Amino acid sequence: MIPAALASNWRFLAAALGITVELALASVGVGLIVGLLVGLGRSYGGRVLGAVLALYVDSMRAVPVLAILVWLFFAAPMLLGTPIRPFLAAASGLGLHLGAYVAEAVRAGLLSVRQGQTRAALALGMTRVQAVRVVVLPQALIRVMPALGSLLTFAVKDTAIAAVIAVPELMRQSQIVAGQTYQPFPIYTAALLVYFVLCFPVARVTDLVYARLAPRGAG
Amino acid sequence: MTLDWSVVWEYRERLLEGAALTVGLAVTTMVLALPLSLGVAVLRSNRFAVVRALTTAYVEFFRATPLILQIYWAFYVMPVVIGLALDPLPTALLGLVLNVTAYLSETVRGGLNSVRPLQRYAGLALGMTGLQVFRVVVLPQAFRRVLPAIASTWVSLFKDTSLVSVIAVADLAYVAQQLRAQTFRVFEFLTAMAALYWLMGYPQAKLVDYLYRRTRVVE
Repeated sequence: MIPAALASNWRFLAAALGITVELALASVGVGLIVGLLVGLGRSYGGRVLGAVLALYVDSMRAVPVLAILVWLFFAAPMLLGTPIRPFLAAASGLGLHLGAYVAEAVRAGLLSVRQGQTRAALALGMTRVQAVRVVVLPQALIRVMPALGSLLTFAVKDTAIAAVIAVPELMRQSQIVAGQTYQPFPIYTAALLVYFVLCFPVARVTDLVYARLAPRGAG
Repeated sequence: MTLDWSVVWEYRERLLEGAALTVGLAVTTMVLALPLSLGVAVLRSNRFAVVRALTTAYVEFFRATPLILQIYWAFYVMPVVIGLALDPLPTALLGLVLNVTAYLSETVRGGLNSVRPLQRYAGLALGMTGLQVFRVVVLPQAFRRVLPAIASTWVSLFKDTSLVSVIAVADLAYVAQQLRAQTFRVFEFLTAMAALYWLMGYPQAKLVDYLYRRTRVVE
């Protein structure tokens, strides 16, 4: 037995779920690229670059996602002189926030690979770049997979905050349907369950993948 | 774009009141969540399977759904389902405490499990009761080990309090957005909001780093 409010609006909410998934993928894409570059930059980029990137990472760790999204959507356009679409503001804000945490994980992974690995690579005649790319980075990334996995669930959950800048994702559209039908119970409960079904397996799947790859990162 | 920063100074008292509520909310949540999470962590190794299953379900569910939706659920659905209609502030506190307790209980559980069984046996051999062993031997060691992780959760909590603004709790995020709408000084107030969060959050993020550094095991 499905509540009427849900039965008559499921298409609308399913489309919203699609936006949620798109937003999660976009922010994870931005977050992984930014995180990888910043993590590498902080580890090998020298003092000045390191200090600048550290300021970026620590600032993102200090400011709430909501403040970042609201600032990007409402304040940044005044600086740029052109409006920013909600989805774009959300994807870049969530991605930049996530990227700082990914960068921390990547850096911790790079630090955890022993010096001997780099020295061995250099002794084999590899260049510094080769040593990092072929020897150090793969081991580091495998080691930080559990951390990245939990960041993935955070990425999915944080998309719900995009509702405050009116991105038509699941949280926002649930608010609309709940308001129109005066049926908050079935709508918000269904949304909770959908998010759970979305997030819970992400953690389990990363655990499984990690279990298979872990031996290869144990250098 | 002409900026008028004096308007921020003019409304400084309201912004600071909002910031004070943000701090108060984070502190109250932590004070309530710490003992609760210890209880949940202990119950998760209870000898009754039902208790274990229930506490596990609680922890997994709250960790796999967005906090903003949990707060919404507590505010709009709880009054309908349970007949319990709380004011926004207690509702926000309830949502934050349930959420943070779920996360902390995992940290605490990890800490408790990290204390070797021999420590317990030694305590019991000295004639301590089970409760004494837990309080005097296991808990202090576990606490010291998980302190950095608790500090990390604290910073996340501090940022997450901004989400209570969606149910009109007058925290920093809410006050700043209200002033934005009231004065039309969008850029000034949203930048002031982000800056205030940064000023409060940055030292906390640095403190977490320090705690991790202090407890780091060097190979």
